[in-house]
Amino acid sequence: MRAASAKRTTAGMKTAQDDEIKQLKEQVRQEHGLYLRALADFDNYRRRIEREQANAASSGKREIILALLEVLDGFELALQHAEDAPSSLSEGIKAVYRRLLTLLQQQKVEPIRSLGEAFDPRIHEAIDSSPSDRYQPGTVIEEIQRGYRRGDDLLRPARVRVAA
Amino acid sequence: MAKAVGIDLGTTNSVVAVMEGGKPTVMINSEGSRLTPSVVGFTKTGERLVGQIAKRQAVLNPENTIYSAKRFIGRRYSEVQSEIKNVPYKVVPGPNDAVRFSIMGKEYSSEEVSALVLRKLADDAAKYLGEKVTETVITVPAYFNDAQRQATKDAGKIAGLNVLRIINEPTAAALAYGLEKKENEKILVFDLGGGTFDVSILDVGDGVFEVRSTAGDTHLGGDDFDKRVVDWLAEEFQRDQGIDLRKDRQALQRLTEAAEKAKIELSTALETTISLPFVTADASGPKHLEMKLTRAKFDQLTADLVERCIGPVKQALADAKVTEKDIDEVILVGGSTRTPAVQTLVRRLTGGKEPNQSVNPDEVVAVGAAIQAGVLAGEIKGVVLLDVTPLSLGLETLGGVMTKLIDRNTTIPARKSETFSTAADNQTAVDIHVLQGERELARDNRTLGNFRLEGISPAPRGIPQVEVSFDIDANGILTVTAKDKDTGKEQKVTITGSTQLSKDEIDRMVAEAQRNSEGDKRRREEVEVRNTADSTAYQVETQIRDLGDRVPSNEKARAEQSINSIRQLVKDNSSDVAKLRQLTSDLQQIAHAISSVAYNQATASGGRAAGTGASSPGGTGSGTTDDVVDAEFKETK
Repeated sequence: MRAASAKRTTAGMKTAQDDEIKQLKEQVRQEHGLYLRALADFDNYRRRIEREQANAASSGKREIILALLEVLDGFELALQHAEDAPSSLSEGIKAVYRRLLTLLQQQKVEPIRSLGEAFDPRIHEAIDSSPSDRYQPGTVIEEIQRGYRRGDDLLRPARVRVAA
Repeated sequence: MAKAVGIDLGTTNSVVAVMEGGKPTVMINSEGSRLTPSVVGFTKTGERLVGQIAKRQAVLNPENTIYSAKRFIGRRYSEVQSEIKNVPYKVVPGPNDAVRFSIMGKEYSSEEVSALVLRKLADDAAKYLGEKVTETVITVPAYFNDAQRQATKDAGKIAGLNVLRIINEPTAAALAYGLEKKENEKILVFDLGGGTFDVSILDVGDGVFEVRSTAGDTHLGGDDFDKRVVDWLAEEFQRDQGIDLRKDRQALQRLTEAAEKAKIELSTALETTISLPFVTADASGPKHLEMKLTRAKFDQLTADLVERCIGPVKQALADAKVTEKDIDEVILVGGSTRTPAVQTLVRRLTGGKEPNQSVNPDEVVAVGAAIQAGVLAGEIKGVVLLDVTPLSLGLETLGGVMTKLIDRNTTIPARKSETFSTAADNQTAVDIHVLQGERELARDNRTLGNFRLEGISPAPRGIPQVEVSFDIDANGILTVTAKDKDTGKEQKVTITGSTQLSKDEIDRMVAEAQRNSEGDKRRREEVEVRNTADSTAYQVETQIRDLGDRVPSNEKARAEQSINSIRQLVKDNSSDVAKLRQLTSDLQQIAHAISSVAYNQATASGGRAAGTGASSPGGTGSGTTDDVVDAEFKETK
């Protein structure tokens, strides 16, 4: 009687131990999974930070260039009016404008071709459309604000009017 | 397992975020932007454009460019008559009174259109992460019914995504602030987006959120604020110049952009200048627009829009059968909640409570969705969310200042050690007084523990090296160990309560430190100046002793006089910083003179006190181990 019950207790302990081992194994497996995931996350994160660091300088420049492009727009609008009445003042403004343009070119800023091209929403932003005798429908008939790119990076799309 | 992402599929814009290393990150799309317009364009050539690109061709292709699809999803055609009037594209009835968009003779459901937006978000996320993305959590407004939720889920399925769960936008916002841990709290979520306004009241308890009520205005948002500024600018310009800029599409475009920019600037500045040179021209020549807009004027222009938020907030409170006093937390969602007048209103309507707004309001919903996605994908299981120490940890050093070893907001687990020395000759024990807090002086901070390391071999002050290390584990348990490098003797204490302060208490301590920072800095400086003076005095004294009669007697007398004055001032805890500095620098010069005379006299290769002057005690740790820091322990008996 006593022996039998003792045996049962040992057996009971054994299954309890087995259960615990199983549980712990499962826990270790889960923890290891989380550990690997954290490692992987960190590795990916590090790689992206490296990439972003390389881009950071470029994107800092981007912000300044975008603001400068607005100044350039102002010059272009001014010069359009100056053409009606050329003067030595307008000549001077033109020189300043060219200086700014050179500066931007040195930063590899390139204007986007739009007039006469087929409208492409990847580089053009349509403001308006109107009928045209000269151009096929879907062709850019007027550039309202010039677009610019820098390498593969679209700084801003060209704002255009398109033939209906 | 693949990464699961959270998607905020918005009426105007959508955002996608993911958990990385336990932290949510908003991903940028292929155009380099964090927001993707929820717009789909079908072109005559059969292309489907999504996002910013679709928006750029919208004016050329208004009948085939679908925006605000969210206003139609899961709804019956007969329910959406008023919405149909607001859009330029064709909406037709489908089978069972369903809504269909008619595009170039083909019919599309709103699920299909939303699927294209979801597909782009998932593709761009995959590009960002460098792995395929299929598992998602998508958010919907709290007031969405079963049909609208099911339709959103179907949109995900059409996009080839596995929608792990659809969750409510206000719930996602609450998750982003970690409010699921709260017990029995009431949360008000105020969401003013680009074109819609929603108020929700949530109950949270046992990690479960329950929406108690929702209210809102389906046609109120940031765009309305911009339009007020455009109208004001245009009217002022017309009065001055007689030209209505709104009739000129090009000018209107520039005006709208300038208005939005001005609105954003007025969130932080009290005044801004709107400048549009050569905005138009007439027979008399070019015209420029140059106007100042003050925040007061902006508030006046938009006062009625802000007022329109009041009704829904009151309605939501009434429906939830609560008063403003019952609200425990307020969350701001949507870019328009950056407007100061809106924030003032929210504070007024919620009993002056400070709203949660530290997470970018444009992104907070996607962030919450990403957190939920992380939980569902098993990523956050077992709470591996790393904690930070809420307050700095350090120890008391000579003169009663606190030397910080671990700065506040350091992610834990963390370990840092520094080497200190003794403050007096033949000091055989050091007291380690472990402190928590942001104040400069030990007595103003919280004491976490005290212990004493004994058995240091007798030596002149500054010679013994005691390495003290702070080790705080992932559970916030701090172990401080002090070890005499010479004898290897070690003593330690374990402190469990270092991270268990209530948020209020932490905030109070940080605020107190900020309030007292000027005075504290001055007091710390006094202590440091006294310490420097004292150690200079000690060094010169040693130097004179070592050099013996090689020191000219007049120099010796001068030095001794200086040393005595310094000793007296230090003893009196003098706060005459200028005088102490003067005496210290005089003494350093004397020491320099003494040593050069002594060396010129030739022979001996010099004692240990080469007159390098004293370095300043209490240096802040640089993080590398084994740095000898000249902060000495005070021996207390």
